[in-house]
Amino acid sequence: MKVQRRSINSRTKVVSLSIIIAVSLAFVYMFGILIPDGTAAGSFLNAKQPPSWEHLFGTDALGRDLFLRTLKGLSVSMTIGLAASLISAVIAVFVGIMAASGSKYADAFVNWIIDLVMSVPHTILIILISFALGRGLKGLLIGISATHWCSLARLIRSEVLQLRTQQYVAVSRKLGKSEGWIMTHHLLPHLIPQFFVGLVLMLPHAILHEASISFLGFGLSPEQPAIGIILSESMRYLSAGMWWLAVLPGLVLVLIVLLVDQLGEQLRMIIDPYSAQR
Amino acid sequence: MMHFKKILTILLSLILMISITACGNPSEATTQESMRVETAKDSVVIAIGSEPETLDPTQGWGHGNSPIVQSTLVKYTADLTFENDLATDYTLSPDGLTWTFIIRDDAYFTDGEKVTAADIAFTLETAKAARGSIDLTYMESAVAQDDTTVVVTLTQPTSIFLNTLASVGIVPEHAYDENYGMNPVGSGPYQLVEWMPQEQILFQVNETYYGDIPAIKNVTVVFMSEDAALAAVLAGEVDASYSTATLGTTEVDGYHIEAIPSADNRGFTLPVLPNEGKTTPSGASIGNDVTCNLEIRQAIAYGIDRQQVADIVLNGFGRPAYSENDGMPWNNPEVVIETNVPYAKQLLADAGWEDTDGDGIVEKNGLKAEFSCIYPSGDSVRQAVAVAAAEQVKALGIQINVEGISWDEIMQRMFSDAVMMGWGSAIPNETYYLYRSDGALADDFYNPEGYMSDVTDRYLDAALAALTVEEANENWKKAQWDGMTGTSMQGECPWVWIVNLDHVTYVRDGLFIGEQPIHGHGHGLPLIQNLQEWAWEKH
Repeated sequence: MKVQRRSINSRTKVVSLSIIIAVSLAFVYMFGILIPDGTAAGSFLNAKQPPSWEHLFGTDALGRDLFLRTLKGLSVSMTIGLAASLISAVIAVFVGIMAASGSKYADAFVNWIIDLVMSVPHTILIILISFALGRGLKGLLIGISATHWCSLARLIRSEVLQLRTQQYVAVSRKLGKSEGWIMTHHLLPHLIPQFFVGLVLMLPHAILHEASISFLGFGLSPEQPAIGIILSESMRYLSAGMWWLAVLPGLVLVLIVLLVDQLGEQLRMIIDPYSAQR
Repeated sequence: MMHFKKILTILLSLILMISITACGNPSEATTQESMRVETAKDSVVIAIGSEPETLDPTQGWGHGNSPIVQSTLVKYTADLTFENDLATDYTLSPDGLTWTFIIRDDAYFTDGEKVTAADIAFTLETAKAARGSIDLTYMESAVAQDDTTVVVTLTQPTSIFLNTLASVGIVPEHAYDENYGMNPVGSGPYQLVEWMPQEQILFQVNETYYGDIPAIKNVTVVFMSEDAALAAVLAGEVDASYSTATLGTTEVDGYHIEAIPSADNRGFTLPVLPNEGKTTPSGASIGNDVTCNLEIRQAIAYGIDRQQVADIVLNGFGRPAYSENDGMPWNNPEVVIETNVPYAKQLLADAGWEDTDGDGIVEKNGLKAEFSCIYPSGDSVRQAVAVAAAEQVKALGIQINVEGISWDEIMQRMFSDAVMMGWGSAIPNETYYLYRSDGALADDFYNPEGYMSDVTDRYLDAALAALTVEEANENWKKAQWDGMTGTSMQGECPWVWIVNLDHVTYVRDGLFIGEQPIHGHGHGLPLIQNLQEWAWEKH
């Protein structure tokens, strides 16, 4: 009894923790989205002010309120991250299933592509793609989406390979069910947890990559309040002693990324049968 | 796990950032300062931002500045008039086409050869053939009559010829080849010792120089980014360093800051043509229906508080700009206008611009007074000036949307959008390029606004063809404002000039950097043009 009660407790803990994290992330995200475009604008008359109660994160060189700008930037970065990881995860599922249920050659080909993409450092690949597509939002989205699906695709491939050797799949096949029926009734339901956990764990990567590519100047335009833009602008003023421009938005970015990562870990604990019952 | 590594990397880099800022602490710099080995007092180390491409004057070295390694026929004084250098005398024929120069016979190149009239003719012909940044297309020929007399024939009278000569260093005919730009031989106050590309250039005083031997014997010019240059100042490693308005607020013990006035200006170009669907040969759209109205352009000009922009955006390292050549002898002092918001509003109201829908932006016939201003993204000064000016103009009911884009995109949009542009030169022909009708809508950034005026063209041509400097200056001034019209802001107002940037320079206490002439555009290079005037204070 004792053992059982504790397991219920830990699961409740995990679930409630996930909910808290998810709600706070959603709160930050919504807050950023709901800030109208002009609010952070401010006036150049009060530029370069250190943090105060009026401006929690201080103001930047153009007098914009850095706290509002950071929140706005986070929501922009999170939107891009979410969209890119969603596309990536969908690609991963398709490619993973294709590799596992297609011919031997298809499998070899997909594995070769995965090795190829993974052998090039992500940042360089994203810069290349983003640059070739004319920078901006589109290039960034496609760049991040095209590089982040590999590890999830591998995971799904092995999952599918394993599932296909299960007895109930063999039975279905003997009963004359088509490949498509087996796919929708046996394979996909098992892949949904993998899909979601993979998606959430991919999100911090995507956000960080968005920030770093924008930081390097290959991503969004300087008017977009993305977190990478804020950080790269701050670099010019660091030597002049305006530390708050980099440190505070940077810390918030780290915090958000850690939170999303935690959410992914908690989700895995709930969904993954090996850890869920522990 | 990958993501943890990433997070760790970010955390570590943040810590690194914080520690870098901590290094900016002046007390730490002082300890480094005291540890610095005392350098001999006849040498200086100077940090500048951009490395010259060549030291060959015929290819553009020294353009607008004195070439240091070479000497010139005439040179600028600090107030931008001319004095003789290699030339001892010169005359101009009454038709304005033939210049005769007599040169001194005690000038020697650093390889021991004498400077002759043949070298001067050779230099001018080479510069003309190079078609580089030196425009000598109006020169017919340059011929040496004897060892000390050179005769230059022009195809048309050209008043800026002396200005051009002041920046063309004389090269030796006997020692000139395609590698000259990397190992120049000249007759200037300094000679090149060593040039390590992307690192530094070492100059040494030329002991055989015919003029006063400079007090500073050894000069090291290092090339550094803005941040690195400030770090070098903090560490006490350089004696003089260029900096920026943003970084120049840092106080450093043992250094003082000199804000050297410049003609390095920033302002809006405003398309003066309406958008009639026309395009340039490269397919860029021409004209803007809002800025084509004179009252809009002038309202912007009168609505901007330039001093406030200079004080706040540039930390005081700048001054109001009213034309492309403020402070030059060929500038018309009447172009200065006072900030006058009521007058600006009156201009708009008189022309029928009114805010009918209460959104704070005025309209006329359904057209909102709203347009884009583009600037090269990454140029933080242009961005800040544009944003500040846009904010001030908003009070008039004119909305300027500031957008940072690449130079390639600017090339496509500069004929139909306002641009935060910058010019500034110590030669008056810049005025000619900026406002002549023939140059309108060309891809060279001089006249993207499409300004064309017969009156202006007449003054510009007259200024170019003038026989004396005074007559030329008279016409340059009239091109700006002749009492009726002109290129200035109370005239046709194709540009709204906002600020002239000061060239912020850190100078070690005790170092005298001479009387700096007004600087042209450049990242620290104009600083070294008067090196022969520099000196260390005697102890």
